[in-house]
Amino acid sequence: MACASTSASATWNMTPLRSALPSIHAPSSASSVHFSTGPSSSRLKLSRSKPSSKLLHSFVGLAPIHPLLSLASPDSTSFEHCFTVIDNGGRFFAMRHGRRVPKLNRPPDQRRALLRALTTQLLKHGRIKTTRSRASAMRKYVDKMVTLAKDGSLHKRRQALGFIYEKEIVHALFAEVEERYGDRNGGYTRIIRTLPRRGDNAPMAYIELV
Amino acid sequence: MSRFIEPLAVGRVIGEVVDNFIPSVKLNVTYNSNKQVSNGHELMPAVIAAKPRVEIGGEDMRAAYTLVMTDPDAPSPSDAYLREHLHWIVTDIPGTTDASFGREVVSYETPKPVIGIHRYVFILFKQRARHSVSPPASRDQFNTRSFAEENGLGLPVAAVYFNAQRETACRNR
Repeated sequence: MACASTSASATWNMTPLRSALPSIHAPSSASSVHFSTGPSSSRLKLSRSKPSSKLLHSFVGLAPIHPLLSLASPDSTSFEHCFTVIDNGGRFFAMRHGRRVPKLNRPPDQRRALLRALTTQLLKHGRIKTTRSRASAMRKYVDKMVTLAKDGSLHKRRQALGFIYEKEIVHALFAEVEERYGDRNGGYTRIIRTLPRRGDNAPMAYIELV
Repeated sequence: MSRFIEPLAVGRVIGEVVDNFIPSVKLNVTYNSNKQVSNGHELMPAVIAAKPRVEIGGEDMRAAYTLVMTDPDAPSPSDAYLREHLHWIVTDIPGTTDASFGREVVSYETPKPVIGIHRYVFILFKQRARHSVSPPASRDQFNTRSFAEENGLGLPVAAVYFNAQRETACRNR
C-alpha cells in the first residue's frame, strides 16, 4: 500500500478520484511500506509515522508515488518518481548467509540444463562419475524424478518427460520403479567419493542409484 | 579391521555380493605388474585385459584358498538383471603364495563394461578341504553367497573391488 501525499491543487477535481483510490489519511496513523518478495531473505520493511498533518511533497520512502496521484501534482511531470531505484536487485543482505542453492558456477539456465543432463545420464547408466559438488547437487533432482515415477499418474509422467531429455528413460523408469524402490522412502542415490581428477585436481565422486 | 571393510560397505560389495565378514587374510591384486587394485579406484579396460597377479597371505601353505572374481553390475548398473557375471575362479591356492599356484576352474574372462561403470569384485574364501570346489553351470546369474554355501566355503576372508567403464566413454573433459 503506497502512501503518498499530494496537494489538491492543479488540474483535476480530486474528490471522485480520491474516493475511488485507497485512502491516504496521512496525519495520525503510522504508515508502513511492505515489500515481500517471497521466502528468501530480501525483506524490506520500513515503518515510519507521518509527523504532522501537513501534506508534503518531500521524501515518501521507497514506494513509488501512485502514478495517478503524482500526475495531478504540478512539479512531477516526469516518470522518475514511479520507479524505485535499488541497485542490488532488491537484496537487503550482501552476504550469502543461509542460501542453499548450489550455483555450480553457471547462470541459471545452464545450471538447469546441466542438472537435467546429469539426472538423465544417471537414470540411463545407473552409476556415473562426476565432481562432488555436481553429484551432491543432483541428488535432489534424481529423488524428485523417482518420486514422480512412484506416483505414476499421467500428469506426473508428463512432468517427468518435461525434465528428462530422453523419453525412453522416463518410460523405463516408470515401469521399473515399483519393484526397485517400492519399499524405500527417499534416498534413492548414493555418493562415493573417489580420487581427484588428474587435469585439474577436482574432487570426484561416483553417484549411483541405490 | 573396520578400515578394510568400510570401503566395501560403502561400495555395497558387502550387501549385494557377500555378507558382512571380518577380513583375516591379506589379498593383493596387481595388473600388469604395476597397477594395484584398491577399493573403489578405477582401472582402464586395456589394463584389465590380462589376468592379474593375485598374492594372498594366510598362515601356511597347507591351507587352500579359493578366489572368485565377479561383476555385480552386469549388464548395466541401473538394470543388473544378469547379476552377477562370473569372470574367474581359481581354487586350491596354497596360503602365502599367488594364484598361479592354484587350479583355474573357470578361466579368466576379460571384463567388457559396455553400459555404465561396473564394479569388479575379487573375493577370497578359505577352503576346508582340497578339490572340494566345483564350477558353476553358467557365468551369468551367478550368486556368490549360494556358491559359497554349495561348496562349503562359508564367509569370505578377504575382498577387494575396482571400477571400470568403457574405453571411449565420456570421462574427464
